[in-house]
Amino acid sequence: MLPFSIELKPGLPIAEQVIFAVKKAVVAGQLKPGQPFPSVRVVSQELKINPNTAHKIVAALVAQGVLITTPAVGSVVAEQAAGDRAERAELLGAELERLVVEAKKLGLSLDEVSAGLAAHWKKLGRK
Amino acid sequence: MNAIELTSITHRYWRTEALHDLTLAVPEGSVFALLGANGAGKTTAIKVMMNLLRPSAGVARVLGTDSSRLGESDFARIGYVSENQQLPLWMTVRQLLDYCRPFYPTWDPALEGKLLAQFDLPSDRKLKHLSRGMLMKAALLSSLAYRPQLLVLDEPFSGLDPLARDDFVRGVLEASELGQWTVLVSSHDVEEVERLADHVALLEGGRLKFSETTESLLGRFRRMEVDLNSTAAPAGDLPKSWLDWQASAGRVAFVESAYATERTEQACRERFPDATVRAHPMSLREIFISLARAGREVVRSSAA
Repeated sequence: MLPFSIELKPGLPIAEQVIFAVKKAVVAGQLKPGQPFPSVRVVSQELKINPNTAHKIVAALVAQGVLITTPAVGSVVAEQAAGDRAERAELLGAELERLVVEAKKLGLSLDEVSAGLAAHWKKLGRK
Repeated sequence: MNAIELTSITHRYWRTEALHDLTLAVPEGSVFALLGANGAGKTTAIKVMMNLLRPSAGVARVLGTDSSRLGESDFARIGYVSENQQLPLWMTVRQLLDYCRPFYPTWDPALEGKLLAQFDLPSDRKLKHLSRGMLMKAALLSSLAYRPQLLVLDEPFSGLDPLARDDFVRGVLEASELGQWTVLVSSHDVEEVERLADHVALLEGGRLKFSETTESLLGRFRRMEVDLNSTAAPAGDLPKSWLDWQASAGRVAFVESAYATERTEQACRERFPDATVRAHPMSLREIFISLARAGREVVRSSAA
């Protein structure tokens, strides 16, 4: 089993979806610093994705500082730098834009969207 | 380099033309899906590659060798599993593996053991007493244990239940080697290979409709929705790349097969001045359905 939750949606680039899911799992505390991250082979087998794609995913996560590779151990989740709140907020950029577009399409007001957000926020608690 | 190269392959069975002037390249390191309906020519193409069939015309090269000259040392680097494979049914699983092992210098006993356990195969049972799923897994095991450089799978999933299918894909990925490991898999069902394939080719009636990377295919297709916000009919001719056109009161939907954000937006603005336009990414399955429905020639040369 993979240590993060993901549901792949067809049509969108797989690598992007997985990278996003991993980053989200780190922010949400589902993946903790120092925790081992599955190998390329395991990622590819569990998600039934092309090994080249799985390789690209792990390489991108290492390049972006989400994972650290150590020769004998494999990849582990990196300590998240304290000053990267802005970077973490940026993670949500695309999702927020999508939310705003959908809300406007439905003719909702900012207050209504905020209220909906607040309700979901409470439901999940703050870990 | 290409693991497989077909150049102008034509093949006739008596008077029926199964393949027509097929030129196709499977790049080394790719997981290549050869798609098409039953009877589109997939198996014929694969038989030509595997030197099981001499084409009426054209040349096939596999791992750099003319396929009509493929010999023992070449086949020791190629794994081939076919839906209609002849297996020695009187043998047990164990006997099949014992029989195959000496032919392959690169046979990996550790991988053999791992796959045997993972596939949950009863090693003392005769092949003729195995279920279809078990039989396909046994065939796959005997083709994976030597870590072939090129793995050719002809309709491997047909008739397999979801669990056997899952085992099968995991097995294939267990033997994967990054870089030079190439897989060619044929299927009539795009969904089966959607996540695995990084290249997709479509055969229709023995002819190649297109062959390109999954990325480029997913990139150039969008399902477009247009809220017209006026009753004016769309102005001007429609671009040839717009397929599957559907219009209803105040709304238009179509599939853009040559999507590029700015160009498509521009083309939409010209035709629907005050409309709201939305572009949705499509799955491979949706792309294939819309292509079949549109029934138009969208031939695009390999985007390699």
